[in-house]
Amino acid sequence: MFSVLRDLIRYNIEFAIGLAMTCFIIAFAALSFFSPVDPTLVYTAIPDRPPSWQHWFGTNSRGQELFWLLTFAFRNTLTFGITVAVLSRIISIVVGLAAGYIGGWVDRVLMFFNDIFVAIPIFPILILFYFVLRSDLNSFTLALIMACFGWPFDARLIRSVALGLRHREFTRQALFAGMSPLKVMFQEHLPYVMPIIFATAMANMIWSIGLEVTLAVLGFTNLSIPTVGTTLYWANNHSAMIVGVWWWILIPVALIIVMFVGLFLLAVSLNEYIDPRSRLRRMGA
Amino acid sequence: MNKDDALEVTSLKAYYLMNFFGITREVRAVDDITMSVRRNEIYGIAGESSSGKTTFIKVLAAAMRPPLQIVSGKVEYRFGGRTISPQSMRDDDLAELHWKHLSYIMQGSMSVLNPVRRIQQSFVDFAKRPLGLGGKAFQDRIEEHLVDLQLSPKVLRAYPHELSGGMRQRVTIGLATVCQPEFIIADEPTTALDVVVQKDVLSLLRTVQRRMGSSIVLVTHDMSVHANMADRIGIMYAGRLVEEGPTRTLFTVPKHPYTAHLVASLPRIGDTARRPALEGRPPSLADPPSGCRFHPRCPLAIDKCKTDVPPLVTVGEGHRSACWRAADVKPLMASAANPVTA
Repeated sequence: MFSVLRDLIRYNIEFAIGLAMTCFIIAFAALSFFSPVDPTLVYTAIPDRPPSWQHWFGTNSRGQELFWLLTFAFRNTLTFGITVAVLSRIISIVVGLAAGYIGGWVDRVLMFFNDIFVAIPIFPILILFYFVLRSDLNSFTLALIMACFGWPFDARLIRSVALGLRHREFTRQALFAGMSPLKVMFQEHLPYVMPIIFATAMANMIWSIGLEVTLAVLGFTNLSIPTVGTTLYWANNHSAMIVGVWWWILIPVALIIVMFVGLFLLAVSLNEYIDPRSRLRRMGA
Repeated sequence: MNKDDALEVTSLKAYYLMNFFGITREVRAVDDITMSVRRNEIYGIAGESSSGKTTFIKVLAAAMRPPLQIVSGKVEYRFGGRTISPQSMRDDDLAELHWKHLSYIMQGSMSVLNPVRRIQQSFVDFAKRPLGLGGKAFQDRIEEHLVDLQLSPKVLRAYPHELSGGMRQRVTIGLATVCQPEFIIADEPTTALDVVVQKDVLSLLRTVQRRMGSSIVLVTHDMSVHANMADRIGIMYAGRLVEEGPTRTLFTVPKHPYTAHLVASLPRIGDTARRPALEGRPPSLADPPSGCRFHPRCPLAIDKCKTDVPPLVTVGEGHRSACWRAADVKPLMASAANPVTA
């Protein structure tokens, strides 16, 4: 495991850069555990200070230290994105592999529901959930809801691969040797779709974080929880750009770009590693 | 059932039964086959494409899927004194039977290895449960077996695409034989290989078979492979067994016009004569000709062949032929006594 990591860093520049960027964001988010201030409180510092040695990222118009606020914001946003990605991956793997491998009426029923979820407009539904749940809508509930909507495209993708795998010789041989369908699906077919799962997981994180930011900027989430989206909401609410508090918008946006690019590079290079056929092309062993 | 027999097939009929919008169609891919395979014997099944070879061995291996069904007849194995009939077994028992007693080297066996799993994992997937060995003992066993197949145990760490075609083929044979099954079914095991590698792989398969004393049913359309490998050969035509006999007899004194043509088609070193080609194509199994299925292409056909199905009757020592005019069949080549080796 350790040697794999070392080789990846040595031979794969995308991986090295992606890992550095992601680690930077994770470390930054982890700083929130050592924060001297409570991010939900306002006017704990002098408002509207530009970045300086005393206030690294400056302070915002609500009198919050932006550095510590953003550590919390990134922790929550990252956790949110990972939760959505993991939960929706579980659904799409199970649905995709089962539909593709078992086929027949199982496939038809699963794809019927799949297509319903594809057709449902997600954004209005999320707003509806906000109006119904109001203050009960915490980060985790929102993640659950979005996971329930984030799987259908990827399930179809996985199904299409599994459909092809079903007719491959190694599946027949596995069945002949007495492997159960469940084992065939998760032992023989899952490794095959792993690169797809990784690629779509990163895409899914970027999608869910983007949607969360959109919702928050419009004010349709619980605004007392610091996330990247709510930070931007408050910045917009206080007309940060007009007042000249540019760091309130620029710094979170810059950090989120670092996070997205880091995740993307990591996904691309891991894909290459996970598929043994392309791994060799780069590392030669 | 004969004591020496490992497999006995009695008037087996297996059809593809399809029902499209109320119209039933049947493809009689295996029609009334009776044969047996002895212990420690390689039985070759030959025939051109779409003669029902693969269907027949799918039935033998009990690896049938709908629309393929056994219509009548039975398949019985004899493993260590027990008589086993796979067609009446439940799935659990079949899983127990497969691989441990009855293994199957599949057609296109180049692709039976999962491209994203290491060879080691494939061995664990297929052989761990039937072998019932754990950890070190299991590892030693498969490594030993690979060495027997002239493969380095290092291949266990490799992915299939890292191996050459011949190595992959040997790994597949290794997978199929590691549990020391009594019966092995091999469907075109060497079709994708060139003749040199093919010869190595086949002789290896035979060495392994002789050592284990198991039986092999070897299916291929390549007559030169049969000439080298098989103890006895059965010739299939349009879903029926038309002739069966010891390899040498079949090559020297064929008693069915189809076999005579098949043998005559083999190239011989130094012989530049043109090969007589059979007119026509193999018949459709959905609508086979009446009587003897070979009669539209047969140069010896008489009126009786068009109406009556010839039974498979004994025409010599261990030699059976299904032809009304078996006595009139002459070898087409004077030099047919020396089947060329591949």
